[in-house]
Amino acid sequence: MTVERTAEMAQRPAEVKSVNPGIDWRGRALDRAPFLVACLMLALIVAIYGSLQSGVFTLDELNLDTAAAMTLMLAATGQTIVLVRGGIDLSIGGMISLGTVIAATRFTDDPSTTALWALAILALGFGIGALNGLLISLLKLQPFLVTLATWSILNGVAMIILPTDGGSIPSWWVGFASAQFIGLTSPVWMLLALLLFWWWFHATRVGITIQASGSNEKSAFLSGVSITRVNLVTYGLSGLFAAGAALFLVTQTGAGSPTIGKDYILPSVAAAVIGGVSLFGGRGHLAGTLIGAFVLTLIGNLVFVLHVSSYWQPVASGVILLLSVLASSIAEKAARSRVQ
Amino acid sequence: MDLVTVKGLSKRYGGIVALSDATFSARAGEVHALLGENGAGKSTFIQILSGAVRHDGGSILVDGQDYRPANPDAAQARGIAAVFQELSLIPDLSVEQNIWFRHEPRTWLGTVNRGEMRRKTLALLEKYNFPALRPDRELRRLTLAERQIVEIAKGLAKDPRILILDEATSALPAREADWLLKLTRQLAAEGRLVIFISHRMAEVRAIADRLTIFRNGATVAAHDANAVSDNEIVAQMIGRHLDRLYPERVPTATDRIALRVNNFSSGSRLSAVDFALREGEVLGVGGLQGHGQRELFQALFGAARAAGTVELWGKPVSIGNPRQALIGRDGIALVPEDRRGQGLLLTKSVRENLTLSVINRFTENGLLSRQKESDMVKEMVDFLRIKAGTPEQLAGTLSGGNQQKVIFGKMLLTQARVLLLYDPTRGVDVGTKGEIFQLMRDLAAKGYAILFHSSDMPELVHVADRVMVMRNGRIAATLEGEHISEEGILRAAMLETRAA
Ligand SMILES: Nc1ncnc2c1ncn2[C@@H]1O[C@H](COP(=O)(O)OP(=O)(O)OP(=O)(O)O)[C@@H](O)[C@H]1O
Ligand SMILES: [Mg+2]
Repeated sequence: MTVERTAEMAQRPAEVKSVNPGIDWRGRALDRAPFLVACLMLALIVAIYGSLQSGVFTLDELNLDTAAAMTLMLAATGQTIVLVRGGIDLSIGGMISLGTVIAATRFTDDPSTTALWALAILALGFGIGALNGLLISLLKLQPFLVTLATWSILNGVAMIILPTDGGSIPSWWVGFASAQFIGLTSPVWMLLALLLFWWWFHATRVGITIQASGSNEKSAFLSGVSITRVNLVTYGLSGLFAAGAALFLVTQTGAGSPTIGKDYILPSVAAAVIGGVSLFGGRGHLAGTLIGAFVLTLIGNLVFVLHVSSYWQPVASGVILLLSVLASSIAEKAARSRVQ
Repeated sequence: MDLVTVKGLSKRYGGIVALSDATFSARAGEVHALLGENGAGKSTFIQILSGAVRHDGGSILVDGQDYRPANPDAAQARGIAAVFQELSLIPDLSVEQNIWFRHEPRTWLGTVNRGEMRRKTLALLEKYNFPALRPDRELRRLTLAERQIVEIAKGLAKDPRILILDEATSALPAREADWLLKLTRQLAAEGRLVIFISHRMAEVRAIADRLTIFRNGATVAAHDANAVSDNEIVAQMIGRHLDRLYPERVPTATDRIALRVNNFSSGSRLSAVDFALREGEVLGVGGLQGHGQRELFQALFGAARAAGTVELWGKPVSIGNPRQALIGRDGIALVPEDRRGQGLLLTKSVRENLTLSVINRFTENGLLSRQKESDMVKEMVDFLRIKAGTPEQLAGTLSGGNQQKVIFGKMLLTQARVLLLYDPTRGVDVGTKGEIFQLMRDLAAKGYAILFHSSDMPELVHVADRVMVMRNGRIAATLEGEHISEEGILRAAMLETRAA
């Protein structure tokens, strides 16, 4: 290897390859495969449900199902952000319980007091979430362990405040869930708001930074990202949405419950996974999660109209979860075995 | 005045001294090469300059002002950008999102302004005459070379005064490497300082104005590039004289066929390849990058789907996955291209990485023999001179070249006698390169059969017994004897030739 040769090679201009292979449709389809599978599942379930029950394809049904799914959807929105970050948040179970018992013991007929308490619950949600994020970063602990611990703590606090289901929620707050605006109830509007939020959020620098940190934390750090700050915001948002879920949940139950939150922990993860959010971080969209939440909710309806034991619901949910995980792993393999 | 002046810089990781006394000074408008063996501390130095790591002792002056960046952002604010050896890219973002990550142009809503981002990307790529890249492609779909180019674009997007290139050419094929060398000169001519790290002496010679040599974490010398000879540089790097880089090539091939491949295809990049690799032979695989070399290696190892027939030592085999490829003395072992992605478990120790795929060899009556394992590991670490504090050091914390050595050792321990070496010397220092070539020839003499790809053409020319040149997924020519030359390879790679 002589000096001259390389020097001469360095003079030679690098040819620019002018290939433009066009849009990589197959690649895109494979990328979205889990989401497409979720859409298919939902369509299938709706079709079956619609053939067994009349009036499924009406606005009323949409309003009803969305109301039934909204608590899960809110919780799963926070969970989606955390999963995209590459973490997991179990503490939302504790936060939801705590939120409902605070609401059930503090909400009054006076709208301004109630509004203040509602804001306080949201702030508490964000604060506790942010604390999760801080603990994960500073103590360098697994998100699973930290949020498991805070779940237990929050649960305990909820029990102390209200040992058994009860308290009361003012009727005007309960009425919120059935309030209508141009034919659609508020949960449907909330659903649209969630989609709008995500459309905005995932294109902001904060959203991209969270996704990037889940995709490759080391690279994100080398690019100047403060991992502590990312965790703080990620888990803070998750706590915030969990608190929001609690505020919505009490419109459905009309009471507080110190144990109800645990029913949303795993379903929130399941909804996201069914919707194509990767458990390894970096990939996933809220639209998928919301479809996943619908799928999980409608399975309940289906089990009901089929007149079989309600225990079939978790069985069916599990099978669907497996199917969608399988679908995404097949798509993943197909995508990887493609030669670039 | 010097743009950067570093005095007595030191950095320790626990008991491991990465830098003990680094001194460095460089001016604006020059290409300053940083040389040293694997583990000499070059990347550590770069990480300190770019704010990824904080130093323990010593001082850095930039523009005559004290400089101690708290994080990569602070370094960027002072106009310092690094193209990292391990790359700082996000797999799930697109090329353009990666280039502008955290500096995206935004709309009034705070969202990324995609149109503007696309325009800026194309302008940047055009300004520096980048090789073709699709801005909307997701990063994880790119090859290592393409990713390296994106990382370079990302560094340049910050319009830095000081650009650091840490072994940026090592993952690039010849043509792209040439482009980068030219670009480096252009950047220096624009008045920037480029700090250039490479283990390829010819590149350093072609572009460096000055050079600084590290050994064992300390600066041993700094020279004007035209005032010092190659031999002196190498001697200062490795602390001894290196008589020759390439070993003597005594033909050791027998008539026995170790690996015969017929009508072998994989995906759209490898079509109907036929060849035979003999016992005792080093068969080179050359050609321009992206003409099926990677696919050939991956498919032979069972990491990609393939059609056609493969015979190992005379027996037809079908290799469905890497586990089947590995088994025993009649198996196949691979040194893969992407060491961080495929070759190593970064969060496992050197010992575990070496022995993971051969754990059976240390098991007696179902029990793991720690003694046997640690003897074998020690032997391999000494043999390849892997620079690790202890065998328990995590592979991810080794220097780049030492990671490559671990992969090599891992492959040797499998005892497989058909070796697929895909760029085995990438990022390896000159001293060790010579040892690896010698080792390849020794193994061949012992009856191993080696399929060898290198992105550095002279290596093929000097080490291989025959060279297959690939073009459009086929073997365009097979060169033998005196026909093996860089010109010969290039000609076969670029021109339509008689089919072999
Ligand atoms: N995070 C870490 N923990 C422990 N040791 C480390 C860490 N980072 C680097 N080292 C050690 O510091 C030494 C210097 O490494 P460095 O990466 O700077 O070498 P280098 O000169 O860049 O080598 P190469 O040419 O192989 O890239 C090595 O011995 C390495 O094992
Ligand atoms: Mg290095």
